[in-house]
Amino acid sequence: MLPVKQGQMAIAMVCVVLGVMIAVQFRTTQDIRASIPFQRVEDLSQRLSQTEKDRDALLKEVYQLRQATEKEAVSRGMQTMKMGAGVVAMQGAGVIVTIDDSKRPTKPGENPNLYLIHDDDILKVINELWAAGAEAVSINEQRLIASSEIRCAGPTLSVNNTRYSPPYDIRAIGDPQTLETALKMRGGVLETLQFWGIQVTVKKQEEVIVPAYNGTFRFEFASPVKEDGK
Amino acid sequence: MTLPVIGLIIGILIGTVCPISIPAEYAKFMSVALLASLDSVFGGLRAGIEEKFDNTVFITGFFTNALLAAGLVYIGERLGIDLYYVALLAFGLRVFQNLAIIRRYFLKK
Repeated sequence: MLPVKQGQMAIAMVCVVLGVMIAVQFRTTQDIRASIPFQRVEDLSQRLSQTEKDRDALLKEVYQLRQATEKEAVSRGMQTMKMGAGVVAMQGAGVIVTIDDSKRPTKPGENPNLYLIHDDDILKVINELWAAGAEAVSINEQRLIASSEIRCAGPTLSVNNTRYSPPYDIRAIGDPQTLETALKMRGGVLETLQFWGIQVTVKKQEEVIVPAYNGTFRFEFASPVKEDGK
Repeated sequence: MTLPVIGLIIGILIGTVCPISIPAEYAKFMSVALLASLDSVFGGLRAGIEEKFDNTVFITGFFTNALLAAGLVYIGERLGIDLYYVALLAFGLRVFQNLAIIRRYFLKK
């Protein structure tokens, strides 16, 4: 052992402080390595917004290209199929239904949810319109196609994976008289909604324009059945 | 010699058990202060061997060295000069010097 003859006690005290410092420093260095640097978080969120922008631009391009190819002569059958699929904008006589949240103040002790529009309210209206022979329906610029969803997304409504908040503007092409009566049926959809003060207006119009579906079709799992033989 | 080693072990234990942590931006100051304390300890050991140990000089030296080193780094950061390296170099050199002297005494014995 080293012949330390003096100040053993003082050196030991200082060593205690030194030990604490070493341990703290060791842990701090480990923490710095383990935590995600702030810059990385910023970088990632920036990249996300950039990707979203790119996606929107590409969607627009797809839509434009589709419009362009459409101009080339397409057979009548193809046109009907496209109309059915909802990739072309349609016009014709129909109705415009506007739905907005209730303005009535909630009575104390009552569930405020009752005065808000929910996805199932919209679904009931849409269902009634289809049943009354609507040929094309859109909600706030989103054409309803076979795979369209109408779903609660927090306080908003998700249609074709795009979120909308009230008021909702539903356009339907079909016989205006039939569509209107179907909605205003006694005990029907509108009566139920109006009971809760939800503001619904139905306007018959000679000319309603329903926009085309501008998203993409993705078939990841499904593929057409191959018919062999015949 | 056993007493300082025991002290060091106790210190490390306290530091590991206590959930003390310093913000990442102060880690630099801490590292310089740490080196300064290391230098003081070696200086103290050397003085102890040479039988020139002075309690007051040792304790004050320990604290002033650590504080001065951290202060120097702070000023350097403000001025845009890397005084950090100056402190590191100075204390590092002294640690090695003291270590060399201690080693000689150890071998002579």
